[in-house]
Order: sequence, then structure tokens, then C-alpha cells
Amino acid sequence: MKSKNSLFFLFSWLVIHSITAQHSLTLLTQEKQFVAGSVILLEFKADHTKDYQLYCTNSYGSTLITSEIKNNKIIFKIPGHISNKKGILTWKVINTDPPFSGKVQIISKERPTSLETYLGPPSIEAGNTDFTMLVVIPTDDLDNPLKQNTEVVIKHQFLAMEKKEIVFTNNLIAHQNIFSPLKIGRMILSSASLGLNSKEYDVNILPAIGINFNIFSKRNHEYADGNQITTFYTSIIKDKNSNVVSDGTFVDFFITNKKGNILKTSGTTINGIAYAKMIHPEWEENWIIKGYIIGISESNSLEINYKQVIEKFDIIFSSNNRTLTIGPLISFMNQMIPDGLQVKLSIYKEGELLNDVIENSKDGFVVFNLNSNIYENGNYVLKVTTAGITKTFRTIKLW
Amino acid sequence: MKATSHKLLISAILLGLAFHGSALFFTLEMTYDALVHLFFADHYANNWFEPWNYKWYTGFSVMSYPPLVHQSIAALSLIGGLKFGLFTVAISSVILFITGVYRFSLLMTSNTTVAGYAALLAVFSSSFVETLHVFGQLPSIIGISVLMHAMPPIYTWLKTGKYAFLFISLSLIAVTVTSHHVTPIFGMIFFIFPLIGMVIIDISREHVNSYKEVTFKLFIKNFGKQFKRNISFGLLSLCIIIGCLLPYWINSKNNPITQIPIPHGSRDNFLEITSSGLVFFLIPWGILLFLLPYFFYRYFSKRYLFFGLSFTALIILGIGGTTPIPKIILGENAFNILTLDRFTFWASIMVLPLFGEFIYRFVEGDLKALIKQKFGSVYHRLIGVLLASFFLFTTIFTINLSYFRPFQVQKIKMLPIANFLNQDQHDQWRYLTLGFGDQMAWLSTQTNALTVDGNYHSARRLPELTTRAVERLENSKFKGVEGIGSLQQFLTTPEKYRLKYIFSNDKFYDPILYFCGWQRLQRLENGIMVWEKLNVPPLSSILPKVDVASWQKIIWGIIPLVTLILAFVLNLRFLFIPRLKTDIMGVPEYLKFKNKYTVFSKNLLKTTHLWSFLLCLVLCFGLYLFYLKNDSQRTPENVIKAYYDAIDFKEFEKSHQLIDPKSNISFSQFKLEIAVSDGLLSSYAKLDALKTEINKKTDSLVILKVDTDWITPLEKINKTEYKTLVNRKGKWYLQPEKIDFDLPPNQLYSNNVTGFFNQGRRRITTEQTHHEDVLKQPVLEILNAKLVKFNNHYAIIGEVQNIDNVPSDIVLKGTLYNDESKELATYNAKYHVKHKLMPKEISSFRINFEGIAWSKVQDSIPQVFNPDEFTPVELEEQPTKFNLQAEGNVSNSDLYKSVVLSDVQINSKTIKGTLFNSGLQEITIPQLLITYYNKDKKLVWVNHMFLKNGIKQQRKQYFEYNFAENKQLIIINEDMKDCYVNGLSNTAISDKIIPNRIFRHTRNELQKVVHPLYKYVKIEMNNYIANPK
Repeated sequence: MKSKNSLFFLFSWLVIHSITAQHSLTLLTQEKQFVAGSVILLEFKADHTKDYQLYCTNSYGSTLITSEIKNNKIIFKIPGHISNKKGILTWKVINTDPPFSGKVQIISKERPTSLETYLGPPSIEAGNTDFTMLVVIPTDDLDNPLKQNTEVVIKHQFLAMEKKEIVFTNNLIAHQNIFSPLKIGRMILSSASLGLNSKEYDVNILPAIGINFNIFSKRNHEYADGNQITTFYTSIIKDKNSNVVSDGTFVDFFITNKKGNILKTSGTTINGIAYAKMIHPEWEENWIIKGYIIGISESNSLEINYKQVIEKFDIIFSSNNRTLTIGPLISFMNQMIPDGLQVKLSIYKEGELLNDVIENSKDGFVVFNLNSNIYENGNYVLKVTTAGITKTFRTIKLW
Repeated sequence: MKATSHKLLISAILLGLAFHGSALFFTLEMTYDALVHLFFADHYANNWFEPWNYKWYTGFSVMSYPPLVHQSIAALSLIGGLKFGLFTVAISSVILFITGVYRFSLLMTSNTTVAGYAALLAVFSSSFVETLHVFGQLPSIIGISVLMHAMPPIYTWLKTGKYAFLFISLSLIAVTVTSHHVTPIFGMIFFIFPLIGMVIIDISREHVNSYKEVTFKLFIKNFGKQFKRNISFGLLSLCIIIGCLLPYWINSKNNPITQIPIPHGSRDNFLEITSSGLVFFLIPWGILLFLLPYFFYRYFSKRYLFFGLSFTALIILGIGGTTPIPKIILGENAFNILTLDRFTFWASIMVLPLFGEFIYRFVEGDLKALIKQKFGSVYHRLIGVLLASFFLFTTIFTINLSYFRPFQVQKIKMLPIANFLNQDQHDQWRYLTLGFGDQMAWLSTQTNALTVDGNYHSARRLPELTTRAVERLENSKFKGVEGIGSLQQFLTTPEKYRLKYIFSNDKFYDPILYFCGWQRLQRLENGIMVWEKLNVPPLSSILPKVDVASWQKIIWGIIPLVTLILAFVLNLRFLFIPRLKTDIMGVPEYLKFKNKYTVFSKNLLKTTHLWSFLLCLVLCFGLYLFYLKNDSQRTPENVIKAYYDAIDFKEFEKSHQLIDPKSNISFSQFKLEIAVSDGLLSSYAKLDALKTEINKKTDSLVILKVDTDWITPLEKINKTEYKTLVNRKGKWYLQPEKIDFDLPPNQLYSNNVTGFFNQGRRRITTEQTHHEDVLKQPVLEILNAKLVKFNNHYAIIGEVQNIDNVPSDIVLKGTLYNDESKELATYNAKYHVKHKLMPKEISSFRINFEGIAWSKVQDSIPQVFNPDEFTPVELEEQPTKFNLQAEGNVSNSDLYKSVVLSDVQINSKTIKGTLFNSGLQEITIPQLLITYYNKDKKLVWVNHMFLKNGIKQQRKQYFEYNFAENKQLIIINEDMKDCYVNGLSNTAISDKIIPNRIFRHTRNELQKVVHPLYKYVKIEMNNYIANPK
């Protein structure tokens, strides 16, 4: 019984030993480095030729390859989709004891065939603080970035300046921060590497925020006729490096009137000048105007005055006092005021405001009809306001 | 005898084909439902076994509607396209209907000539014409037609117990149920139950000598005898109804209809809403109304007793909300889901055999003899002419109803829209149509793009839709009412639905689109305006769907057509066999109960006369009332109503006729005066309610106080005016209003503006975004942001500035969090922001957190639409923190800024002022944004106002703004650390571009006000231009 057992163990040992002996492989391939795209064959010598499988991994993924046997050599041919990619290829023969593995390095080709380029942002602000970044990746025809420290020339042109700088790829890419110049304009960029030139890229250098400016006004006459238009405009608004601010910059004009109320107009710049329009007031005014690019810059204060055009007007009552004819409303040269002057009639009864009726003048006159169906017979207080002048009629009797 | 009937039937079929066949091509596509069925058919044509449809409602299951008709169209479309399928099925339905009526009539009357007459009359039946040519309800027609075909075999099975007939009837019921589920369910009750009753009476009759001898006892006895057959038939039918549509029932159980009921005209009180009465009562009944006494008389004879009961029930259910009975019978829920017009439709079909019988007796039977004997042959002919002309008149009127009352917008050419969606990957986003009517379904079949809307409201899933009684977003301005509220949510937060394009065929919606931040892209060659929203991410490539088991998909795809083929085979067999071997089948059972038609009851004739006379009286009285109501110059109130109606519908000539002729305003002057007034009120308002109150009245003059409510897309406007009316020669006229005399200073003037153009893709390529062509997002800065609580709802208010060098579109998205940073609500800024900012321009903003309005069933839905309606979102917890995301995108449209605040007057309650348009464009809707500050000049609230009138170039417009009510206002959080611009930190951006911001600028120029809560305000102007030039 005992001898039987010993025999069995001996046999088992022999079997196991012979199996492991079968799996002892020797790598014949000496090269540890290949150029991407070349045929990579891993050759092994084995005690017993049979099919093996090779597990190989690179940065793109993993795969399993079955061997070929040629001249008693075990040969693994690394497939193209792996051998075309730059990087470390790790391999391991499956089912060997001890595990048999290794790695080879695949390097990119010598010369680039394209320069993969990224540039952004496409527009930056002038003034040396904002920057854009140009990233260049010289790649070979298999889309592998070239080796570390490949020389890349970055060229840029701006106004009269043309500049060349050399950077080296690091971690596959070459990049440079390009700070904005002081002036606005368009910067053209390109790159070159080992004799290959990129196409043209451009960056817009836009003006920075504006600095303080002056404002002016322009008008046909100085009368408060409620009809003509006054134009306010700015000096050419520039940034601190004397670049004209970009077209369309919004400028607010705040107008403080005699009562302290704030009126408002606005303009957007063209070539740095913003125009804003304002209709003339209907009565005597003193306006203080100030322009702002809010939070950024402001103008001087401008003061302009408007002269009263209507000094007095007549009111004629007719038809049982129910028709009020106001006028003639006469302007500064005794001409009739242009149509559209606002006349307000406020009707009070027993101290209470019944209604405000607003009419616009036509041919220098305004007519109010107090309808007997709405305003019953009785005593009313009527106030007529136009051009800032109010005339009050106490106890007007309607019948 | 037999020969004539076949002649009649054949001529009925030929006539039917000629009449309906030629009319269909002009009517069917303009009906309410046909295009929806076409859309479903398109779905089956492309995905026969996949019930999930992505195109509508962010996805829905087509298992929510019986598929047979759609699948038939889809199958036929493989031969000649979808419309070929549609028309083929429609024409088949005409044949099915006519032959169905014939077979049903033959069953009922046992007389082939009568059945022939009935078939002939069915061709022109106004209810059939309405259902087909106005409503386009193909499944419903096919359902009822097949049910009529099923009735003779059912009768024969019940009477004789021959299994062959059981199979035929079950096969036909299967076809009915797969084409229209409601028909067999109610058909069981209203058609088959009375038929069972009739069979029992007929069996009883065979035991005795006449129907008089059929007693209740005998009936009960035979009922017992027949019970097994009846119950077996009933159960088998039930199995068929459930089995053939099993996926449908499973789907309805899993997705019960929990939506707010959509109002339907058939549920109205027909006496109050006469238009519903016309469409759902007068038209389907037509001439049948005059013969009601005859129908009741015949159907309440002993043999038809059960049909009489069923007929009465159908009439009562069909009159909708006119009586409370339907609601009591059906229950609140069913009443609100069912459309009740189908009951009238069935009732009018149920009487067709009797109508045929009456006409037969009138043309060649005992009635003719009786009338001739009593009134002479001239009277007989006269009545004949009257009946025929009235019958044809209703038919012609019905088929051309859309000519008198257009119910669809004009046909839209879809190709430009389909092309737009297919090019440049526009179908990567969802789209929405506005003002397309039912044609939106036709667009959906022509494009792969998805829409958030749809035209099958039972399948809606989004709570934003199901909680509103809105059929479609599409026509939200009509039905009613709360539509625009629903639409607003989609327009304000389109990112949620990936909604980027809107096709607008109705300028009514333009202002709401603009003020929700949309911009016009282009006008297509068919006149449709395309609106676009920036900053909406595209749809993900995998969309969610609710999947069902494969066996459901397979039986849904196979069973319906199988039932059709089976029914076809079984019926063809029995149609031919009797002709060949009559002895096998014998004479059909139901032909044994013939009526001799020898004595027409004199009393019945008298009653019919009396009834017709009464009906004529009622009709005349109705017409008289109609005349009184519509004679526009009869009373001052009528003048006002007519005037506003005419203005509302832009019928200027009509409105001019109501103006006092002595005021000497020519029509051209009048039109000119109206034409120069543009704005929210004159161009975008629909008159909703008009109330007049007489202030003063004399014989020749009336002063009316006119309160009008106008619905505009943006808000509801109440207006009170005093109108003076004068009486000239018995007619009332309106005194004209005064016009604006303001005269602009310049005739011709110029203005320089900066224009912008964005190339999009510079390269002609299909690459999604070529990185060189991507513009930098404009940089914004949030100057101010705080979370406030105001009258129980929360808002984020603040100011934002475009600090870039290019104009920008602004999207502001706010999110509320509680102390544990749990997200509570998200919403976008809607009206309270200038959506387009020039470089360095500032806008105040407010983000309201709107909930889905009326999301709880118990919330009472307001009866009247209020576009201003605001439902604050219901938050479970107290929000304490907020996150604000500002996104800028380069925009080159709607950059008009030439509005000037030229005068301001402040008192304690209002701000009055004048706006002046200093530029080159006519402003259609000016908007004011009012920002409130406290005594420390800290921003506390933002409000807005739309001006009712537009501002023409170089003209002024006065406004009066009432201060916001000063209720409790609490500032909850002012911490701006969670403010982001284009995904980057707001502080980092502002530090880089404007490191030394001058804060006093925003504080210096604030308008002082006298108000207990607010000490300063800032007024900003925004504007909508309808026609940029």
C-alpha cells in the first residue's frame, strides 16, 4: 500500500515536472524599441512547439494574440492597431509557469506629417494681461505625437512686429501662452516643426474697458418747444492704451432736470463716439447731463438750459362753459407751436380730482368738450396746464 | 322585389363612392382627426412592432389607441404613400358604412326594399357626413359600420344557435374592437342588448300568433331558455374585446388618464352655446328631427321595445350638458372624458332603418296612399320636395361647413419646414409649432425631429400639459384659456425640454416668444417664422422610453390585421355560399318577421304634422332671437358689441359703418387712423369680455361705460372707456375717437448703428462644431444677486452686465437650496430681464420660481384665462441659498436700444412719464423694468410693465406706472459666492476684466421716490419690434 502511494507521487511529480518544463520559453527578439508602423514580431524559443497565446496591452486597450510556429520558433505578430500606436506595449504569454512577460517601447516616426493645432480663446483683450494659448502637437502619419523635446517654432505677426519663438514638446504637446499686446488688431499665428508648416490662425485683440470721456450737446435752438431734438455725444472713448473702445459699447446718459428727476437716454459707440438723442422739454428746463459706461468710466457734467417758449395762453369758454378753447399757443417767434404740445385739463369738484384729460395741440389750439352727460351741471374747479404753466379757474359753472 | 333592393343598394354604393369619393379629397385633410390618424399610421409604417413613439410629448405609447385603422393605412402606404392609404381606408369606410346600414336595416325591417332605401339615405346622412368630412373620425365610422355588419349574424346565432354565425359575429366584433375600442363597449349596451331583447321577443312571437300575445311571462320564459346562448355570446365578446386589445388595456391600467378634462363642445349646454348646439345636435339630426314621432312610435312597438329604450338613452346622452341627466348617468369622470357627440351619432344611425322605412312608405307605400287620400297628391309631392330639399340642404351645408366656419388654418406647405429641420442638424433639438392647427400632425410625419407638443391629448405625460385643459400648446390661445400659462413654462425653461426651434404661423405669440428670450431666425418661404433660443443643449442620443414586454408588441402588431383578414375570409365565404347553395343556409332567420306596411296610423300622421309645425315654430323663434342679437344697430349695446367684434377681427369696413355718418370720417381716413396705432392692445389683443353700462340715456344719445377685458399673450388688460352713441333715423351710431396730433420734428433723418453678423460655420462642412468657428461666449458679470421672499413666494433679483465687447444674449438660471444644500427649485428669468445686452449694458433681473400651475387636482382651475397668472412653486422646505448661472451667447438680433425716458413725474403712488422713440424702428411693445432700492440704495425688488401702445419713430408715448404693493419683503440671502458666468466663477471674471469697478455709478443716478418702503427706483427700457426693418 505504501509503495503504491510512493509510486503514485513519483509519477505525479514526473508528470508535473514535464508539463512545466514544456512551458519554459526564451525570448529571441532582442529589440526593445520599435518605430510605430513597423512590423513587430516577438519570437520565442520553446522546448516544445505548440500554440501559445499572448496578452498584450498598450494605452489604447488590450488584446489576445495566438502564436504562429515557424522553424520551431513561436512567433507572435503584433497586430497593426497596436503596433501603429506610440507608447509602451506590455506583453504576457498566457499559461506559463513562471509567468513570462515583458515590454517593448514603440516610438513615433522621425518626421511630422501634420501639426495638430488648437488656439483659444479666439479673442482677447488688449493690455498685456489677457492671453490666448496656442497648442501644437506635431504628429506623424499614424497620428502619433513626436518624441519629447521636438522643436516647434511658433511665429506670430502683429502690426509691424513679426516674431519667432522656439518651444519644445513636453508630454506630447508644445504650447505657448501669447499675451495680448497693448494695441488692438488681429494677430496672425502659425507654427512649424521639422520643416512642416501649419496653416494660419488668428486672434482678435479687442480693446479693454474705456476710460473717462467728455460729452457734448448739439441742438437746433435752445427753446423748450417739446418738438425738436437735442443730440448728446461723447468724445472718442478709448481704453487706457488709447485704443478706441469696441463698436456698440453702451453709454448711458443720465439727465437731472430742474425738479431733480432723472431722465435717461443712451447711445452705442461707433468709432468710439456714442450719440444719444433727446426730445426738447415742453417748458423751461435746466438739465445736468452726465454720461457713463456703468461701473467703468464716466464723463464730465454738462449743463444746458432750455428757454420757455409759451409765456402765456388764452382760454375761451363757450357753449355753457362746456367748451374750452385754449390758444393760440404761440412759440418764440410768434409762430404757432408745432402740433403735439401736451395740454392737460384737470377737473375738480368739491376738492376732489374727477379726471385728468390730456389733449395734444393742433394748429396751435386745443379744444376740450365737457360732456353734459359725464359732468353734470354745477360748479367745478378747472386747471389747465401746458408748457409748465398752470391756469386755475375756480368755480366755473357748467349748465 | 329582390331585384329592386339590389338595384337600390348598388346605386347607393355607386352614389356614395361618387359623392364621398370626390368630396374626401377636399375635406379629409382639413378635418380635426384625419391627420392624427395619419401620424399614427406613419408610426406603424416605420416601426410596426415598436409601440413607443418619440416624436410627440417627449415620447408616448401608441398602445393608447386601437391600431387597426392606423395599421391598415400604414400597410397601404407601402404601396402608394401615406395619403394613398388614408384615402383608400376612407373610401373603404364609406362602402362599409353603406353596406352596414343595408344589412342592419334588413335585419330590422326584414324588407330588402326598405333596406335599399335606408342604404340610399345613409349616403347623405348628415351625421355620417359630419363624422367623416368634418371630424374625420375614421376609426369610429369603421367601428360602427362593422358593428352593423355583425348584427345579422349575432341575431342568427342567438336565434338558431348555429356555430358558424357565432364565429362570424365574433370575428366582426374583433374587427370592431381593434378599430375603435369605445364602439363595441357602448355598442354592446346600445345595439346588442336591444338585439338580444328583440331575439327573445321574436322567439316568443313564434310561440303565439301575433306580437300582441307576447306577454311578459312568455318573455321571461324564453329569456331563461335563451340565457345560455346569450351569456355565452356575451362572455365570448368580452373575451374578444379584452383579448384583441390586451396591450391597450394593460397600457391604460398602467398609465391611467389623470389629466384635467379638456372642455369639449359636446358637453356644453346647447341652448347657451348655440354653436355647439349646431355642430353636435342640429347638424347630426338634421331632417330626422321632424320624424322623431315616427321613430318613437315604431321603436316603442313591442318588437323593437328594447331599441326604443336604447334610442331614448342615446338621445339623452347626446344632448350633453343641456340636461343634467348625462352627467348623472355617466358619472362625473366618464362625462368629462367621453365626447358625447358619439351618442348622437349612434342614435342617428340607429334610426336609419326606420328612416328608410318611412321614406319607403312615403314614396311607394301606405303613407303615400294615406296622404293622397287625405290631402291630395299635390300636397304629397310638395312634402316630398320639402323633405328632399331639406335633407340635401343639411348634407351640403355639413360637408361644406368649413367654408362657413373655418376650423383649420389655411393649408401650410410643410416642405420648407421639413427641409429646415433636416438641414444643419436642426433635428437634434425638439421643435414646437404655433398656430398650425391639426396640420402639426402632418408636419410630424414628414420629419424625424421631435416636438414637445402633440395632437393626441390622452397620451400626454408632462405635468405641464396634463394639468391644463389644453389640447395642444399649439393652439393655446384658443380653447382657452389656461393655454398660454402652459406655453410660458415651455418658453421660459426650454433647456429642460431641449426645445430650440419654434415655427410660428400666428403673430399673436410673437411678443411672448420675444419677452421669454427667443429670437427670430428667418422667415421660411411658406411664410412661417422660425424662432430660435440660444444656449439650449441638443437632445441626448439615447432617449428614455417606457418599454413593454415583447409578447405585447407582437400581438399588438399581428392581431389587428389578423382579425381583419379572418373576418374577411369568414364573411366572404358566407356571402357567396348562400348565393350558390341557398338550401344550406336557408332564408335568413330575420327575414321571417315581415311587416306588411298596409295601414299607416292616422294618428301618427297627425302627430308628425303637429310636431313638425311645433319644430318650425321653435326654429323661427330661434332665428328671430338670432336676428335680434345680431342686428348691430338696433340698440346701443349691439353697436358697441358689433364695433368691438369688428375691430377684434380686423373687419374695418364693418366697424366704419358703425361710426356716426355725420362725423364725416371717410373710410380711408378711418382705416389710416387705425393702421397707425400699433402695440399690444391694437395688434395682439383678443377681446375676452365686454360689459356695457348705460351712464346716461336720451332718445338720441347714449353714453355707455364700456369695460373691456382683453387677452394678450403677455397679460390681461382691463380697459374702461366712455363711448357716446347717437341715434340717426332709428339706427345707433358710434361717435369717433380723437387721434393723436403729435407731429415729429423730422421728415427724413438718419442714424448710425453698429451691425453684427455671425457666420456660424465658416466652412461648408457637416462637422458639428469646427473648433475654429466657435465664438467665445461673451463675458457677463453679475453685479448683484440676492434671494428675496415676497408675498410668500421666492425670487432671485439682481443686476447683470455684459462686460464683453460683443452683444450678448442672456440666459439666467436660478436654483434654490435649503440649509442642507438640497435642491428645491430651478427656473429661468422670464420677463424681468433685457434678454439682449449691448457691450457694457446693464439689466436688472428677477427670477420667479414658478410651479406647474394647478398641479393638484383639488386646485380649482380658474374659469377665465389670465396670462399673468402666477403659481409660485410649492417648496417643501425653506430655501436659504441660491445658485445663479448666467450664460452669454453672441447675438446679433433685437439690439434696438433707442428708447428715451424724456419726462418723469413722481407722486406717492405712481410714476408718470413719457417715452420717446429716437431711432429708426417702430416699437411695438415697450417694456419698463423698474428696480426698487431702499434708503441705503440697496436693491430690493424688480418689477416690470408693458405699455399697451406702441411708439412710432420720433413720437412720444405716455405711461403711468403704479408702485408695486408694499407687502412683506424679506431679503433672505445676499451671498454671491455661487454665482457663475458661462460656468466660471463670477468673482474671478470680474477681477480680471473690471478689477476696479466704480460702484457709485449704479448708485448715483437713482430716481428718488416717496414711498414707505422704497426710497429710490431705476427705470430701464426694453422693447419688442414686430417688424424690424
